[in-house]
Amino acid sequence: MPDSNRSILQGTLDLLILKTLSWGPRHGYAIARWIEETTDDVMRIEEGSLYPALYRMQKRGWIKSGWGESDIGKRIRIYSLTPAGRAELRAQSAQWDVMVKAMARVLRPA
Amino acid sequence: MRQLLRSGARLFWRRSVDDEVDDELTEHIEMLVRRLELEGLSPEAAREAAARRFGDLTMVRNECRTLAHDVEEQMIRQDFWQQLRQDVAYGTRTLRRAPLYTIIAVLTLAIGIGASASIFSVVHAVLLRALPYRDADRVVAVWNAYRQGGTASHTAIAPAEFADVMDQNRSFDAVAAISRGAANLTGSCGGSASCEPERANGYTVSPSLFTVLGTAPALGRAFTESDGAAGAEPVALLSHSVWRRRFGGDSAVIGRGITVNGRLRTIVGVMPAEVRFPDAPIGFLRDRGDIWMPNAWQNNRGEERGNQYLGFLARMRPGTSMTEVRTDLETISTRFRAAFPDRYDPSTVSWALDAIPLREQMVGDVRRPLLIVMGAVVLLMLIACANVAHLSLARGAARRQEFAVRTALGAGRMRLVRQLLTESLMLGAMSGVLGIAIAVGSTRVLVRLDPGMIPQLDATRVNGIVLVFALLATLFCALLVGVVPALRQSMVSVHDAIRAGRGAAAQPRRRVRSVLVVAEVAMALVILVGAGLLTRSFLALQKVDQGFSTGPALTFAVTLPRARYDSAARMIAFHDRLQSELASIPGVEAVSAIDPLPLGGTSWSGTFHVEGQPTARGAEAPHGEYNVALPGFIDALQLRLVTGRDFEVTDGPGAPAVAIVDESLAAQYWPGEDPLGKRISSNGDSGPWVTVIGVVRHVHRSGPKNAGEPQIYFAYRQRVQTPLSYVLRTTVDPLSIVGAVRSQVASLDRDLPVARVASMATLESAALARDRFNALIFLVFAGTALLLAAIGLYGVMAYLVAQRQAELGLRLALGGGPGDVARLVIGDGMRMALLGIVLGTVASLALGRALDQLLYGTKPTDPVTYAVIAATLALVALLASAIPALRAMKADPVDALRA
Repeated sequence: MPDSNRSILQGTLDLLILKTLSWGPRHGYAIARWIEETTDDVMRIEEGSLYPALYRMQKRGWIKSGWGESDIGKRIRIYSLTPAGRAELRAQSAQWDVMVKAMARVLRPA
Repeated sequence: MRQLLRSGARLFWRRSVDDEVDDELTEHIEMLVRRLELEGLSPEAAREAAARRFGDLTMVRNECRTLAHDVEEQMIRQDFWQQLRQDVAYGTRTLRRAPLYTIIAVLTLAIGIGASASIFSVVHAVLLRALPYRDADRVVAVWNAYRQGGTASHTAIAPAEFADVMDQNRSFDAVAAISRGAANLTGSCGGSASCEPERANGYTVSPSLFTVLGTAPALGRAFTESDGAAGAEPVALLSHSVWRRRFGGDSAVIGRGITVNGRLRTIVGVMPAEVRFPDAPIGFLRDRGDIWMPNAWQNNRGEERGNQYLGFLARMRPGTSMTEVRTDLETISTRFRAAFPDRYDPSTVSWALDAIPLREQMVGDVRRPLLIVMGAVVLLMLIACANVAHLSLARGAARRQEFAVRTALGAGRMRLVRQLLTESLMLGAMSGVLGIAIAVGSTRVLVRLDPGMIPQLDATRVNGIVLVFALLATLFCALLVGVVPALRQSMVSVHDAIRAGRGAAAQPRRRVRSVLVVAEVAMALVILVGAGLLTRSFLALQKVDQGFSTGPALTFAVTLPRARYDSAARMIAFHDRLQSELASIPGVEAVSAIDPLPLGGTSWSGTFHVEGQPTARGAEAPHGEYNVALPGFIDALQLRLVTGRDFEVTDGPGAPAVAIVDESLAAQYWPGEDPLGKRISSNGDSGPWVTVIGVVRHVHRSGPKNAGEPQIYFAYRQRVQTPLSYVLRTTVDPLSIVGAVRSQVASLDRDLPVARVASMATLESAALARDRFNALIFLVFAGTALLLAAIGLYGVMAYLVAQRQAELGLRLALGGGPGDVARLVIGDGMRMALLGIVLGTVASLALGRALDQLLYGTKPTDPVTYAVIAATLALVALLASAIPALRAMKADPVDALRA
């Protein structure tokens, strides 16, 4: 992954995770796969960086974790959205829209 | 809290939290590897690709571990608060479901907490709070101590003695002498401020006094050494209150003049509001000061060592101990004895200079009563706690099934204990709030009851420290009340509890209750005995024949300023006119004047000699209480004349010197003889002699408690002095003529203040105020204790009866009469009560000695008091068990058996 993409990704990673979890609880690996698939690998991330983000979001109370089973039946941590996380998702999406429109206006003439 | 949680979490959770993070990350990589292998990569290539896609594992792991710990802590905290919220919500429901239990428990605890916080306020104000002097802990009062038998009387110091100690001591870095005197304030005031002539408490002090105490004026300057020198400009320091009263708090007062006893003085400073030296009595220096004037007492020394009238304070050098001070004073005393063998003759009473720490001097008198009251408070609080513990036990029994069910449903034992503790703390919090309200109210009442003799009581308020005390008391109560039942509940076995259902009485539970009841009765008895003894002592004091009438009479004092009344003739002329003017006021039956006024709080005594009975060398000269009086004083004060006559107007300056003595003096020195015509002298063995013309009954001059010494009355007209107290016996309300009295005095001398206006009844009541205060506080405690003990006893008896319903029903069914059942129940109750009474009596007998000092005409072992109290408690116990017994008698055997 080129370095130039990295900073944008860092800022949007939280939003991506929130969006992913809005479809239902899942574990870290599944989140990575979902992001990979739905963004057609454009936003390919270093998967390890997912975890600090997950823990940080837990600390902020946006998501919470419980226990579930992986596809081969191992005990694994499952993340899900909290009401606060859902509100955060709404707020961040709206912000994102505003920014995208603004960027588009700035860049179009060129 | 945070730190604690963090380190706790570190100890217990670190490994598992770290492991979980590791597991999670490893699992992610494993899943990635499996997927890549499925896509066709070789195991090695898959692992390598997975590692690349995952990124820096070590960095991620470290970051995650740190974050995971934070998250874990957060969760522990959240769990704690959530459980607490649950407990509180549950507790609220529980308490609301049992309102009677809640109300009684809260009230009981609140009374205990309120009483203790309020008494603690007083104890704090009087005993614990610092005196308002910076160097208070280094200041001692120095006295002439005369030891006789086991007791020492501390008397004032002569100027010569002060000067010598000042020169010779090695342990003080500053010393000050103080003499008190009335200060008539007249003239110049600021603006609209009150400008009436006023008698204030004045003190003539060494310029160093405020250096000794370590206090500085709030305004202006303190005295300097030169202020005290002879011929220096006369100056004065004002108290904050005089400054406010007479100068309206005007800060431009410095440098202005104030007329004190007819002499104009320049005001150099104003002391802070909290300093009105002496702020508590220091021996004979009793009243809080209004104005201070400087005098270098060491320059007034003279060699007259018998004229002892100074208070003496000294500041110890830093690091000096009391032992060193006493040794130092003993060295000086030895020198005195050698230099003046006549004066300090070792063969009579043992004399020495003695030092007492200022704090002990100021609060010494009240320490013991306050500590005793504090002890009573602690007992009361324990009774309150015991009561609530009963209630909680009874409630706990009723809730056994609930707890058993909750245990069965998976609640941990700790969780249940925590639930109970939360409930207790909630009770404690409610009681605390109510208790503090009670404390605030009752502290106000206590301060209002102030006999005016408890130092610094007026400064009592419920402050921060007292609130902390109340809080601690609450916590203590709550925990005591909560822990016992909680521990017991946690011992309940699920199986037993569910199977037993209601009605089963566990034996150990009953024993705990019995112990509580016995202890409660015993503690109540201790408080009741204290109250009983103090009340009996108070009643005994009221019955004392004080030798004069305390019927309707008005008293007031005047002090003629020497500057304007510079001769005996002028003073006599003034009093002659005033006496006749006052007699013309309607409603006045008799007018005369005397000094010191009985119950007026001042005293005057000295040695005298009896003609024909010379004092042997080395023996002690006769000692008695002196008075001067105007003609008619026997009638005005309603003294009882035993023989002879009252003073007449003719007993004046030119006439033969006359005196009236009391019965005890006559009986002691002229037993079996006619005292009339006998002669005494206050000056020495060789006269001049004064002839006894009358004998009166002995007067309790300083209150009923103190019989005092033999008494001598001199005729004022033959022995003038500046202060004199008038007594107007009236047929109307004494206070109704105050206005007329003031205007009569003003018509004779516009600048003469009328001081200490009071009815004789007020003086009498004030003389007993301390004793009334003590008895009243104890009575309130005793009433509360009795009530609480009765509630406790009743609660337990009712509970026991309910527990034994089945057994009692069986007895009834098998033909036992209702009387048998009642006897059984009452017998149970009385056994506990009697044991409590016996134990309480033993404890009271042991503790009673502490009260000895406060009692008058009553022994601490007074059998009547003990008998009455024991009977009262037994009666209360009987009533408390009779009510449940009656209920038991009426029980339907069938119901009881079925239950």
